Amino acid sequence: MKAIQVKQPGGSEAMELAELPIPQPKANEAVVKLAAAGVNFIDVYFREGRYKAPLPLVLGQEGAGEVTAVGAEVSDVKIGDRVAWCGLLGSYAEYAAVAASRLVPIPEGVTDEQAASAMLQGMTAHYLSHDTFPLKRGDTALVHAAAGGVGLLLTQMAHDIGARVIATVSTEEKAKLARAAGADEIILYTQSDFEAETKRLTGNKGVDVVYDSVGKTTFEKGLNVLRPRGMMVLFGGSSGAVPPFDLIMLSQKGSLYVTRPTLVNYIASREELVVRSAAVFGMITSGKLKLRIEYTYPLAEAQRAHRDLEGRKTTGKLLLIP
Amino acid sequence: MKAIRVERTGDPEVMQLVDLPVPQPKANEAVVKVAAAGVNSIDAHFRDGSYKMPLPFVPGQEGAGVIIAIGAGVKSVKVGDRVAWSGTLGSYSEYVAGSAESLVPVPAAVSDQDAAASMLQGMTAHYLCHDAYKLKPGDTALVHAAAGGVGLLLVQMARNLGARVIGTVSSEEKARFAREAGADEVIVFTKTDFESETKRLTDGKGVDVVYDGVGKVTFAKGLNVLRLRGMLVLFGASSGPVPPVDPATLSEKGSLYMARTTLAHFTATRDELVARSGEVFAMIATGNLKPKIAKAYSLAEAQQAHRDLEARKMTGKLILIP
Repeated sequence: MKAIQVKQPGGSEAMELAELPIPQPKANEAVVKLAAAGVNFIDVYFREGRYKAPLPLVLGQEGAGEVTAVGAEVSDVKIGDRVAWCGLLGSYAEYAAVAASRLVPIPEGVTDEQAASAMLQGMTAHYLSHDTFPLKRGDTALVHAAAGGVGLLLTQMAHDIGARVIATVSTEEKAKLARAAGADEIILYTQSDFEAETKRLTGNKGVDVVYDSVGKTTFEKGLNVLRPRGMMVLFGGSSGAVPPFDLIMLSQKGSLYVTRPTLVNYIASREELVVRSAAVFGMITSGKLKLRIEYTYPLAEAQRAHRDLEGRKTTGKLLLIP
Repeated sequence: MKAIRVERTGDPEVMQLVDLPVPQPKANEAVVKVAAAGVNSIDAHFRDGSYKMPLPFVPGQEGAGVIIAIGAGVKSVKVGDRVAWSGTLGSYSEYVAGSAESLVPVPAAVSDQDAAASMLQGMTAHYLCHDAYKLKPGDTALVHAAAGGVGLLLVQMARNLGARVIGTVSSEEKARFAREAGADEVIVFTKTDFESETKRLTDGKGVDVVYDGVGKVTFAKGLNVLRLRGMLVLFGASSGPVPPVDPATLSEKGSLYMARTTLAHFTATRDELVARSGEVFAMIATGNLKPKIAKAYSLAEAQQAHRDLEARKMTGKLILIP
């Protein structure tokens, strides 16, 4: 089978199209014939060696396809099932062996490409808006990078719940996307200060929650726009890591909450994984959640996909089609 | 009238019993004849200068008594009302003038001493378990300093809410008080490591919430005993301030939440102040909450009260009776 392999960490050219044997399932595994694999920043980190895995490695943490073989102890899925997963390496390939307990069923009405697009970012947007800080109708949320991969989905879900969404974006083009996703207010942070603007938009009351995947450049100002007892949800650091901070800031700025969640802790049990993915798929079939699949690439063009992703010119999901 | 006055900051001896004129109410103020004044650590911080205050001043932030005069514009209380307060300076005195908005009614079934004893610590315990992290039946809470002023009240309230309470204390004698208040498990942290013991008591699962008024010596280990997505509520720092925290710690230890809270943000409006104090008083009136008065002193014994407070030998509330 064809697969994208990294023998030595490095730039996008470190990814080679290789011929590998089709994997055999271990007792608790299923083998999936991939129909689509999601391209994510975490793949870049593994490619560069910033995140460690034994070499050589097959990249890719997200995919969808059909089960072609199962191990002796597998009861969660069977041959022929359409399934999707995230968080396990090896999806930049024609076939992948995956722990069966991490595979979720894809319902009728959701394509393989949609499923491969929605696992990481869709479930992230879901846990942020439904669990980390469960939004209620009438809440106000500040969403940073609202035209980003998670941002566009989070904005749609927050809008759907009935929250008022204030979105920060970097360009007019991205402002359009965020608005189409349901953002009530847009702040072009390259042109106006998001702290002053958010205070103005909330009549100085502040927002109930800040969803922040940007980190270093936004964190402290984000604390300043929270209402008393509001919550800062830091779920990424695209501008760099937030430095250690003094907790006394939280009491001085109004008895604030801070959390730093990651998806893996919100799909820790199989039950939660299945329920959460089903909720996201349900939003897709009902038309409430629109995915923005921007480009698809054949497996052989994985290098180009990474260059496009790292160039940050893309505003939607990138997929590899093995 | 007799009052305690601080003319320069320092040891307990700087508190002198003096004669001062009975204050007259300004507009929106009421004058109260003080029946009981609470003694708190914050009074010692103002006395020794670690918190700043223009000199000279009359210490004391908490008390209960009867209104003897009101200023122009006062509508929320009237002469003859039994009231209590916190956050108004000058309670170590026979009479004190304060903003009428800060005075809450005391029901007939609650004694002056109990009312004075429960404004700061009772409302603190109340917001911690009803708002900062709302306990549900079946939750497990770790309460540090469970035999302390807030601790003894928090343990009782948590128990009444149906939570399992694990308390930490420094001595066997305090362990007995914590158990009497309703703690299910008590860890004498001077003899047993609270981290390993809490893990053992929760079968490695961890607790839903840690209520931490101790700070420096307990904070980091407290994060280690939380369940996935659990919350650490830091509401004080009796052992010293917590060093700056790297938010990445929160994701590494399981998508944790933390908050640094102060009472002022949970009694911010008159409605919230009256509702919260009303609920605490109702708990006392029905026997569901028993404030523990360690000792009552005359106004002239204020120095001794502070020496006893700072020696940390007393379990329960210290009260001055003017």
